[in-house]
Amino acid sequence: MLKNAILTLLSLAIAIGLGGYSVWYALNAQDGVGAIRIGQWTAFPEVGTLAADPYSKARVAREGVLALGQAEGLAFVAERDDAGEPLKRECTYTIEGGYPTARFWTLYAADQSLGVIDTGKPRQSALQSYEVLRRPDNSVVISVGSRPAPGNWLLTGGSGKMYFVLTFYDTPIASSTGLSDVTLPRILKAGCNA
Amino acid sequence: MRSLLHALILGLLGAGIVHIVVLFLVPEFSERDAWSRLAMASDLYKMRRLDAEAGGAPVVKSVDPLFYAAACRFDLADGLVRIRAPGDVPFWSASVYDRSGHNIYSFNDHNANGEKLDAVVLTPAQMIDVRRDLPEDLQGAIFVEAPIEEGIFVVRAFVPDESWKPIVSRFLEQSACELQDY
Repeated sequence: MLKNAILTLLSLAIAIGLGGYSVWYALNAQDGVGAIRIGQWTAFPEVGTLAADPYSKARVAREGVLALGQAEGLAFVAERDDAGEPLKRECTYTIEGGYPTARFWTLYAADQSLGVIDTGKPRQSALQSYEVLRRPDNSVVISVGSRPAPGNWLLTGGSGKMYFVLTFYDTPIASSTGLSDVTLPRILKAGCNA
Repeated sequence: MRSLLHALILGLLGAGIVHIVVLFLVPEFSERDAWSRLAMASDLYKMRRLDAEAGGAPVVKSVDPLFYAAACRFDLADGLVRIRAPGDVPFWSASVYDRSGHNIYSFNDHNANGEKLDAVVLTPAQMIDVRRDLPEDLQGAIFVEAPIEEGIFVVRAFVPDESWKPIVSRFLEQSACELQDY
């Protein structure tokens, strides 16, 4: 009798403990279902819509996100450079290449929670397409680092993990058909202050 | 030994069921979703700034640093809700979310009449009523038919540089979210 009770308790403990933990773990993992990868850039076009999978629905509810709609824009996040190394705030990077059609785009350096990193300086760690200098072929070269650089400069600072968030606003690529032949700029590491 | 194994397998099976049940219950019972956060910060039909610029921590996280945003909660069971803002900013966009934060409908200033934000959110049943006799002052508005009751309306506006900050702030502060009689 007692043995039966203990075994029942054991099954229940495994069911509730493991079941709850696995949901918690799955919701905290960064990448999910429905991601679209272009180079090192990842976007989740379906997050926050009714067509999203149950995991991203749960994540949206838990984190209180209000995702951009299709007519608003689409955000891409990069956490690695083109060599596959994680992005670091103490390193300098060059982001170069062309951008897909959009009314405009913004690029900012983000911390783990995808909020803009705080450099403690009045200059924001963000750039937008109206203010960048372009090359004759319409491509853009952006230097990322804590020291000023000629041309386009995205200020960063501090140390630790870093993400780049590139958001296109009012863009045809947000509709599902537009994503097939999009190319996004490359992220090249230029050096690190160890 | 045999019954222990039996209990372990039963436990694993149960874990699978619990996983699925919890996953589907999280959106229902979350107290940290956008609606609950906004409810703690402001009333229904009140525009509330979402960015940190307006003071205090941002209510809903992760808005683009080059954007300002404001949101209001509404309940279509009370009637139609009308959102207006005078539009002289470089770019604005708007979204309607349902109670659990799903994006139902979105549009931007190019979809609007004369770049002014003037939108009415209503249920399909209310739409039939309104269509029968469209009030004159609603003629230029964008009608968003949403099969929901409670929802959130979010306006986002682009701040290209420092000099635009006061103008964009004024745009969001002058935006209104009110119950509309018809």
